[in-house]
Amino acid sequence: MEIEPRLNILILIGLTILLGTAGSRLFKKFKTPQVIAFIIIGFFLGDSVLGIINKQILSSFSFFNIFVLGITGFLIGGELKKEIFQKYGKQFINILLSEGLLAFVLVTLFVVLIGNLFFDNTNFVWALGLLLGSIAAATAPAATTDVLWEYKTRGPLTTTILGIVGLDDGLGLILFAIASSISLAITGTNAIAIPKIFLHILYEIGESIGIGILGGLFLSLTVRKIRDKYGIITFSLGIIVFILGLSKLTECDILLSAMIAGVFITNYIPRKSKEVFEMTNELMPTLYILFFTFFGAQLNLKNLTLPTILIAAVYLIGRTVGKGLGANIGARISKAPKTVIKYLPWCLFSQAGVAIGLSILATQRFPGEIGNSIVIIITTTTFVVQIIGPLAMRIAITGAGEAGLNITEEDIIRESKAKDIMDTTVPLIYENMSLTEILKIFSETDNLYYPVVDKSKKLLGVITVDHIKNSLMTSGLDSFILAYDLMEPVIAKTSSDLPMTEVQEILSRHNLEYLPVVSAKDEVLGFLERRQISRKISTKLIELQKQAESLG
Amino acid sequence: MELKKYINKKLTCFLKAKEKEEVLLELINLICDNKEIPDREELKKAIFYREKLMSTGIGLGIGVPHVRIKGIEDLIVTVGIGKQDIANYETIDGIPVRIVVMIVAGEGQHKPYIKFLSLIVSKLKKSEIRKKLVKAKNEEEIYNILSS
Repeated sequence: MEIEPRLNILILIGLTILLGTAGSRLFKKFKTPQVIAFIIIGFFLGDSVLGIINKQILSSFSFFNIFVLGITGFLIGGELKKEIFQKYGKQFINILLSEGLLAFVLVTLFVVLIGNLFFDNTNFVWALGLLLGSIAAATAPAATTDVLWEYKTRGPLTTTILGIVGLDDGLGLILFAIASSISLAITGTNAIAIPKIFLHILYEIGESIGIGILGGLFLSLTVRKIRDKYGIITFSLGIIVFILGLSKLTECDILLSAMIAGVFITNYIPRKSKEVFEMTNELMPTLYILFFTFFGAQLNLKNLTLPTILIAAVYLIGRTVGKGLGANIGARISKAPKTVIKYLPWCLFSQAGVAIGLSILATQRFPGEIGNSIVIIITTTTFVVQIIGPLAMRIAITGAGEAGLNITEEDIIRESKAKDIMDTTVPLIYENMSLTEILKIFSETDNLYYPVVDKSKKLLGVITVDHIKNSLMTSGLDSFILAYDLMEPVIAKTSSDLPMTEVQEILSRHNLEYLPVVSAKDEVLGFLERRQISRKISTKLIELQKQAESLG
Repeated sequence: MELKKYINKKLTCFLKAKEKEEVLLELINLICDNKEIPDREELKKAIFYREKLMSTGIGLGIGVPHVRIKGIEDLIVTVGIGKQDIANYETIDGIPVRIVVMIVAGEGQHKPYIKFLSLIVSKLKKSEIRKKLVKAKNEEEIYNILSS
């Protein structure tokens, strides 16, 4: 029986999300960024191996790739606040130019050197070198930001990476335009004057900025008046998609338009935009699974020959050395923090959508051997850097001490157990303590709830401030009323290993303000009070913020 | 809160027992015979456990054994007057106990329990009340003295 095609695609999407999620969980155990899992799964599902996700399906999803890339650009723009530009602007430009241009130069030279060994036509080799060099300048924004978000990073290295990956696609596009016009001229296919190309590029960039600003302004004016979160997310998505569509229609840079819209709203309506970015961000995990799996599926490694393998190898070497060395030089020139100088060179290896897109563009402008070689080389190298890039980045962001600094209250709760948050200094009240003794403890501490224990510290009950207040009417009985008389029974208790998410669930289910933490023998190990939980989490967040600030 | 609401004629008595443990059992039985107590053994255990923590002989010849247990809906108060001093009832001031007021409350009755305890103790601290109680001729009189 044949399955109806649309249903087939739905099954495929479902399967992709499920496999991607399962794979990323497995990879997490080996401390490997999830993006690698998605790409490898996609590669196996694609034409290279199983052929389940074929070219036809992939082409029907091309709009989806633009959408995800656009949302990524928008979110990156959201990170680039006025203060960041003031603080890091010069640094961004220095690093961007040195890493992008050095990668361009080295790849071009290396390809020319090796290419001359295999091909007689020098012009052909130079054209190949220039085109591959220009493609080498771009860094994949989606793969890079996915790793940053997965490891919840924060600090100068993170900010610099975001700034660079947001901008070096633009540099890649400019270099590609120049390289292709030179290549067209030297290969004799078609000659276009270089000044004309520059004008065209400037026009395209201007268009992207214009669309981004207009879209950002429209989005700001709209969401400013909306209070409900569903309204905010639907309007935001609608406007972002519109910006992407308009950029595609006018053939300008989609990523740049979306990024400018993000930059605009984060600076124009800083507080409200936080909600927009937070909600948009929530969509990303699912979108990225599909995006990278489809990406992996389109990597075809079937047509490799010895020259292409060797050129791919020198491309990788040239790009890696160029980007690494360039980033290091740029960071030194702009006197960036030590962590940026040391670790940024390891963070710019990813190459994906833009590089593949440019290689496809190359096949259109240079039909024949140049175009085909570029597609094969870029596909092969993308496969390699997409495995190495996220791994290198993980090591770098961890080494720089920025991983885990960008976490929210929910993250802390999700990652904590009762023992991480509980108050171990809560005073224990023994059952035979008199009201006089209890009042003394009460006056010396600021707790609202106290566990009552027997002599072996076994939990018997809890005394609340209310109980103590009520007992104040028993004048003259202070030495005769005991903790045993005042305590209330324990409604719920927990073990120290229970995740905080479950602790919160217990507190809500029983409508409790506190929860004693006990051992297997029922001995009191600590105490959780709602307000103390919030206090502890806030302290932790402030500590992490200070830690991130201290890095640069 | 009025004491009258919780003092019950049926739950007042002249104690036959002469020693603390027996007195406590006598009052527990009186409660169990007149009120629905879900678990007599639990009540007994709780009363004796509380006494073990600290004697409820609060001085001036008064004993106030009290406890909160599961399954009790409203305060139960029983009053026992000893014809003679009750033996083995440790007190703060060394004056032997003659008046015993046993209070049994539900687990969630923290506020009325403490309030009643406070009211009954302040009443019994008046010497004329104690004298009247010790001299009372019958249960009716005990009830009237405490409810007035």
